Amino acid sequence: MSQSAMNGGFKKSLVLGGVTVSFLALAAGFFLDLWGHPTQSPLIPLVATNFINTATVRVSAGELIASGGDASGLDCYACHEKNKPLKLTFDAESNVILAKEHDDIVMGHGRHKRNNNCFNCHDDTNLEFLQTRDGHQVKLVDSPALCGSCHGPTYRDWEAGVHGRTSGYWKRDLGPIDRKVCTSCHDPHSPAFPGREPAPGPHLLHPIAKVSKERIR
Amino acid sequence: MSDLNDSCACPPNNGISRRNFLRSSTVLASGIAALAASLAPLRELTNYTSMEQFMQKYYREMTPPEMEKVLERIAHEVERQYQIRPHVRDYKPMDGVEFVYCLNLTRCIGCRKCVHACVAENNQSCNPEIQYIRVLKMPHGSLDMEKGDHNYAPSSVPEKGFFYMPVQCQQCKNPPCVKVCPVKATWQEPDGITVIDYDWCIGCRYCEAACPYFARRFNFTRPSIPKERLNPNMSYLGNRPRKQGVMEKCHFCIQRTRAGKYPACLEVCPTGARKFGNILDPNSEVSSILRTKRVFIQLKEEIGTSPRFFYYFDV
Repeated sequence: MSQSAMNGGFKKSLVLGGVTVSFLALAAGFFLDLWGHPTQSPLIPLVATNFINTATVRVSAGELIASGGDASGLDCYACHEKNKPLKLTFDAESNVILAKEHDDIVMGHGRHKRNNNCFNCHDDTNLEFLQTRDGHQVKLVDSPALCGSCHGPTYRDWEAGVHGRTSGYWKRDLGPIDRKVCTSCHDPHSPAFPGREPAPGPHLLHPIAKVSKERIR
Repeated sequence: MSDLNDSCACPPNNGISRRNFLRSSTVLASGIAALAASLAPLRELTNYTSMEQFMQKYYREMTPPEMEKVLERIAHEVERQYQIRPHVRDYKPMDGVEFVYCLNLTRCIGCRKCVHACVAENNQSCNPEIQYIRVLKMPHGSLDMEKGDHNYAPSSVPEKGFFYMPVQCQQCKNPPCVKVCPVKATWQEPDGITVIDYDWCIGCRYCEAACPYFARRFNFTRPSIPKERLNPNMSYLGNRPRKQGVMEKCHFCIQRTRAGKYPACLEVCPTGARKFGNILDPNSEVSSILRTKRVFIQLKEEIGTSPRFFYYFDV
């Protein structure tokens, strides 16, 4: 009787001791970090803020004046003389030769270099105005009317809010909508929308996935 | 172990001897200490569900005062984690509004600004990366999605001979993701937005498998949002920070659009290729696009999901 009780006590101590030792081993394992942590994938850098700002690609004359920026470039008669007719000169390939003060202008409006005359859009009698093809004077800041005199369907779309940039409120009674004009995005002298650097693409979760994808191709 | 043998020599008694008591209590104490030490990894666990969240009701059964409490809890949790006090609101759909998105494939240049504006607006995880919008580069003359590539990285876009097709949640009229959800944690709202209750989602990812547009994303790990990019204007069904193990997806910037504003991806688009509005208003931009433009596709329209996202061309 006492023999079996003694055996039972011994067994119990043995089991308890074993459990304690295994817990201690586990603790030691965690302490020494035997299993290690899962390897961290490389940190993905934050995207540059220029990819998340809502600025337009350029500033229109109207926006420049409204924001109180340096509008001296719009003051034609700081250099030109009033009431003196301007004479355009062309090179052998019938490109208009620009004065060096107008170096920043790239003549790239329209294909086949046919839109090479400044006074297709500017008013030759008053340089501070633009003129439509049917002779209406248009203020520099009201350029959509001039652009629309040639680009009818695009102008119609713009008026309906289908072409061009919008921001603000889609629900007009809750707040204002901000509609951008043609020259907020298009350079009138070279209106094709410029190419730009794309923002970084999705980072692959596992570098291996990239390799295998390349192999498939 | 040798002392155990010694104990046998002791005369057996029916009570507990002082020596026996001391010995067994020492063993017990060291055993408990060993157990505690072996549970050390639990100390690193910080992302646990609070009791309030665990006891929370289903979104559509909550009364306004209960919702107030929940919003307060969320604001408190965000403040604790990011030290920024957010404005968390539960925006309700407006009457007589059904949202539609139109995207001009002629204008999109594939600059991916929409992708990152969306990440910033909607508090998506940066590490690991979660993005709602995928921009596919597709060869001209084809709409075969198999030919699409979303890993393009040239020095300048657009590239000659390709067009770009951003794909995000299409807010289907007949959404397969809603049908498969076993707990009804995702549903379609009256204004057409399919939303997710992040506190009700169990993370089974059935919806991810059901979506034909790869629009749904799963938080495999705890999302990490840099403090300086946290958007404090939050909504319950929208851009409040998610937790590990729940699904998320585009919700048409519910915190903006239900307040009358345009979505973030539209405002950042440099070319104005993205158009958004109320299809029930005949004077809205989207109405006039669907009326007058060559609206070419609803993506994968043959499968009958009837997206509220339309791709169109200019010419």
